[in-house]
Amino acid sequence: MMDFNTITPLTTDALLKAMKETEGNNVRFGAGYTDLILELEMKKEPDLTVINLSQLVDDDFKSITKRESGITIGSLATMTDVLADTNLQQFPVLIEAVESVASVQIRSVATVGGNICTASPAGDVSCALVALDAACEILDTGGKIRTVPIAEFFTGVKTSVLKKNEILRSVLVPHRKTTDRIVSGFIKIGNRNSMEIALVSFAYYILADSNGDVTSSGAAIGSVAETIKSTESACEFLMGKNIEHLTKTDKGKFADLVLEYACPISDIRASAWYRRQVLWNISRSIF
Amino acid sequence: MLLIDLIRDELKLKGTKPGCLEGECGACTVLIDGTAVNSCLYLAINIHDKSITTVEGLTDGRTSLDEVQESMVNHGAVQCGFCTSGMVMAIKSFKDRCDSVNHVPDRDEIKKNLEGNICRCTGYVKIIDSAEALF
Amino acid sequence: MSYKIIGKPTPKLDAGDRVSGKSVYGHDIELPGMLHGAILRAKYPSAIIKSIDVSKAIKLIGVHCIITANDVDTENLSYRKDHPVLKKGEVNCIRDEIAAVAADTKKIAENALNLIEVDYEEKAGIFNPEEALKENAPRINQFSKGDNGNKNISESFHYEHGDLEVEKKKSAVTVTRRYTLPKVTHACMAPSNITADYSPINDVLTLYSSTQVPFLYQREISQVLKIDPSKIRVIQPIIGGGFGSKLDLHPFEPICALLSMKTGKPVQILFSREEEFHHSAIRQSMVIDLTTGADEQGNFTFRKATIIKDNGAYTSWGARTSFVMMQTFSSLYKVPACVYDAHAVYTNNVFAGSFRGFGNPQATFSLERNIDLMADELGMDKGEIRLINSNFPGEITGQGLEYKSCGLKPALEAVIKNSGYEAAKNGHGKSDRFKQGIGFASMLHVGGGAKIYPSDGCGTTLKMDPYGFLTILTGSSEIGQGSETVLAMMASEELGIPLDKIKVINSDTTIKPWDVGVHASRTSFVAGNSLLGALNKLKQKLGKRATQLFNTTEEDLLFQNGEIQSEKSGDSLKIDKVVRALHFKPPHELCEVSYFYEPSSKFQDKEFKGNVSGCYAFAAQAVEVEVDTLTGKVDVLNVHVGQDVGKVLNPMGIEGQIDGGVVMGMGYALSEEMIYEDGYLMNPTFHDYKLPTARDIPEIHFYPIETNEESGPFGAKGMAEAPLVPTPVAIANAVSNILGVEINSLPMTPEKVMRAIHDKKNGGEA
Repeated sequence: MMDFNTITPLTTDALLKAMKETEGNNVRFGAGYTDLILELEMKKEPDLTVINLSQLVDDDFKSITKRESGITIGSLATMTDVLADTNLQQFPVLIEAVESVASVQIRSVATVGGNICTASPAGDVSCALVALDAACEILDTGGKIRTVPIAEFFTGVKTSVLKKNEILRSVLVPHRKTTDRIVSGFIKIGNRNSMEIALVSFAYYILADSNGDVTSSGAAIGSVAETIKSTESACEFLMGKNIEHLTKTDKGKFADLVLEYACPISDIRASAWYRRQVLWNISRSIF
Repeated sequence: MLLIDLIRDELKLKGTKPGCLEGECGACTVLIDGTAVNSCLYLAINIHDKSITTVEGLTDGRTSLDEVQESMVNHGAVQCGFCTSGMVMAIKSFKDRCDSVNHVPDRDEIKKNLEGNICRCTGYVKIIDSAEALF
Repeated sequence: MSYKIIGKPTPKLDAGDRVSGKSVYGHDIELPGMLHGAILRAKYPSAIIKSIDVSKAIKLIGVHCIITANDVDTENLSYRKDHPVLKKGEVNCIRDEIAAVAADTKKIAENALNLIEVDYEEKAGIFNPEEALKENAPRINQFSKGDNGNKNISESFHYEHGDLEVEKKKSAVTVTRRYTLPKVTHACMAPSNITADYSPINDVLTLYSSTQVPFLYQREISQVLKIDPSKIRVIQPIIGGGFGSKLDLHPFEPICALLSMKTGKPVQILFSREEEFHHSAIRQSMVIDLTTGADEQGNFTFRKATIIKDNGAYTSWGARTSFVMMQTFSSLYKVPACVYDAHAVYTNNVFAGSFRGFGNPQATFSLERNIDLMADELGMDKGEIRLINSNFPGEITGQGLEYKSCGLKPALEAVIKNSGYEAAKNGHGKSDRFKQGIGFASMLHVGGGAKIYPSDGCGTTLKMDPYGFLTILTGSSEIGQGSETVLAMMASEELGIPLDKIKVINSDTTIKPWDVGVHASRTSFVAGNSLLGALNKLKQKLGKRATQLFNTTEEDLLFQNGEIQSEKSGDSLKIDKVVRALHFKPPHELCEVSYFYEPSSKFQDKEFKGNVSGCYAFAAQAVEVEVDTLTGKVDVLNVHVGQDVGKVLNPMGIEGQIDGGVVMGMGYALSEEMIYEDGYLMNPTFHDYKLPTARDIPEIHFYPIETNEESGPFGAKGMAEAPLVPTPVAIANAVSNILGVEINSLPMTPEKVMRAIHDKKNGGEA
């Protein structure tokens, strides 16, 4: 159903104004449109207004900036912008997650904010950001910012904490102390090598000192629960352990703890049984 | 209105093809400011202040094919041809990007750049060959 | 024999147009005053239509015409005549066309569909052929004549040769297995399309159709619409993929014609990708029960195959896959006895059509799996067992197929050798996690057409203009496979004129001579031979005139470098000069000839015995595969293809067909599946129907085997379907070998492989 009104704000003020004016109406944000257009084609949305963010000019929304506390990624930064940013190269989990999204055509227009706000339990970028312990910076129509840890941003399938008068402005990925060893990556399981919605995904970002002792650990799982889950107790388990000398039992225990956060469903893509098997296998395989 | 509708129905440029209209097959790929984008997932109003190139644009006002097109012809990379303009635009964008930073890609990078372009006839082999030959 | 152009890589003649966006596909056609059509499909897969009310819809501004079954007088489609154009009374599957609208825009037409009110009485549907075969099952299709004593069988086939009991006794091993093959779709990049343009003033119907069989299409649509076939003109635009999908006449086409006839305006129907998934023909899904035997030395003794095919609600050409499968079971490898029964059973599922390979991929899957299992039981090498049973030149099989040329053994030898099989024989894992291994399969397919219609021939008309420019009017069609390029190459070789002085016209039934159509890998062979016959006549005409112009005899002539030359004297004349002398001086003849080639293949007799094709193509594949035992994912690393093509005419074209066929076969094997629930398709998008992408493909290695088939043009055989046939089972064999499991159904998704690994570990049945 592609009949809708559009408002195209060019500045943040115009954006907040548009949000105020349409509050209470049937309104959606459109940024990269790679999810929205498909959604709208599937269902009828009468009297829909789309606030078209595609032409917004605002650094907070668009740029990727190194700050004191970390690196902020504007919600309107595209996937390609993320891949091109030198500061973000230190987070292999994020780079690999972004590279795994669809195709170069989609990555050129799809936005980080779009991926997060779609709130899909299979969201690749969201999964990586949960492993990175990122914080969502949310702007309301009054001009105020509130911060929500991204692991708490998702409340259910395709639902988030965003209120009707709010928009996700940016995401902050916190700095880590410089470190000797990084064990980090994003594993996405599918039936083919490209263009997949993850059947299971596992994002991990583990730092260790020169001895190999784990100093920081973050991991998240996707497509195996209603929302992306941070596997806290599994990460806790690793703290202080030596990453070079993990025993088979340790690795198994880590995988067991990861699995506790999963409650997958069976659908036409895969069964719950398969998702569990593979999640356990791949989380164990990262060492 | 979607960009693909603007291109095909309003501007009557039929080279850009409606393969799936779900952003999966890449047959509708055009260049927006030199970047390959699926025109089926792009709102027409957002081309404001941007330059759009369709496959016709590569030979517009010329008597010979663009090097990307020439390479595809000479490598036997064209069978039914419905995916072809999308392939051409994806490869064109990639070539220009690599050239601008003096980068020579390997075969895996070429494939990665084409992962969003589906072909049912060629099995991709000669299309990848034709792109590799450009560098 | 060395040729100037035959055997040299030659780009497609019109590739320049296709690559620059100039080619006009069905989607690109716009005619003045054209309307847009849309079709209302059934809400349920099985129901009774109680009433249809179009009164609200017809009032919508921009709607020109709405038709239902009551508004038209048509005959049923299909060679079984069981497929009504617009449905009346009963609904048998979700494709059923209930009404159609022609409107100013596609959007208005679709809005009108939403205003049509249909009162259905839903019925319980039957979605499993085994259920349909039961005594107490209701008749699914009211037009079904039944077969083999069952009302829900559309067609049954029985075949046998040799003495089954005798051969059973000779067998040291016997293997019986059940194989299940899924529904998959062609997924042509261009979705279905048609533009119908009826001219009321002169009563002519022009159809811009992407059909693969324009003359059969013309005939069938004239029968269906009850109009004179000479009033129908079929023009093929550039076709965006066929693979067999366009062999059948589907209801949307006569529906579009009817809308045009009723409005007197051109009407266009374009399928969206989703409609394409739901409503275009698919590959036959089937269950194959196969028992095979071999003696102590590994010689094959017998085969017994029973096949239940899901015909779906209506019968299309797909039901005839039984003919092709019969050939595989009876004649691939030597086998003294074979009994074969295949039943196409009606269900309320969507009906299958023709799809590259036409039953052969499924048959070959079952056969080659059984061969690996027999080899296992005998403790015999999997390459060796195939080699000793290989077909050979001069063989006449139990079914009567005559293998004048046969390159199966060299094909097998080539792939066994080049795949590193010998070195890898004991299996090696790259690591505990990633395991690698090799699987084999061969195939047999018709290579010179197949006589299933009163004529399997093709006509060619040639004309050379006063400037030496040759136009080839060929009955054959170009569907992307490059047939027109091969024909131009042949003409260039024979006449000694360059490619850029040759044009091929093949797209208008009013202009081109008759041809039965693109199927059964026949085009290079039949159209090629037709062309050579015509070229012979042209050379004779030119030669005769040449002898009057300079010092030479007809036997002495060479056609080369754009000239006709006397070999003895060295005298020559430019070919266009001879043409002008023919035309503008006595005998005042145009330089035009025509020739119709009917291949020597015969009809099979009532027992299906007989040499059905002019020649046969053989191939063998060795596939190297890697399995990730943690995820079940199968990666195909290398595919070695040994293919008996008779003669390589255009290496560029052949390689393209091989690559495309192998990747299509890989998709069928690993990731493609149409998932139906109670007759409804659950994954009608590219999102959820997994085609191979550029990052999924293997390295493909092609070893052409040139057996120089006497009856083929320049020794060539048809080969376009062949590359698809062995790939799926070669992969299944590889995975089965590597993991010590049995993969007996497709697709082998990562989940299926994981389950097999898991079941084996837990000691369960493989």
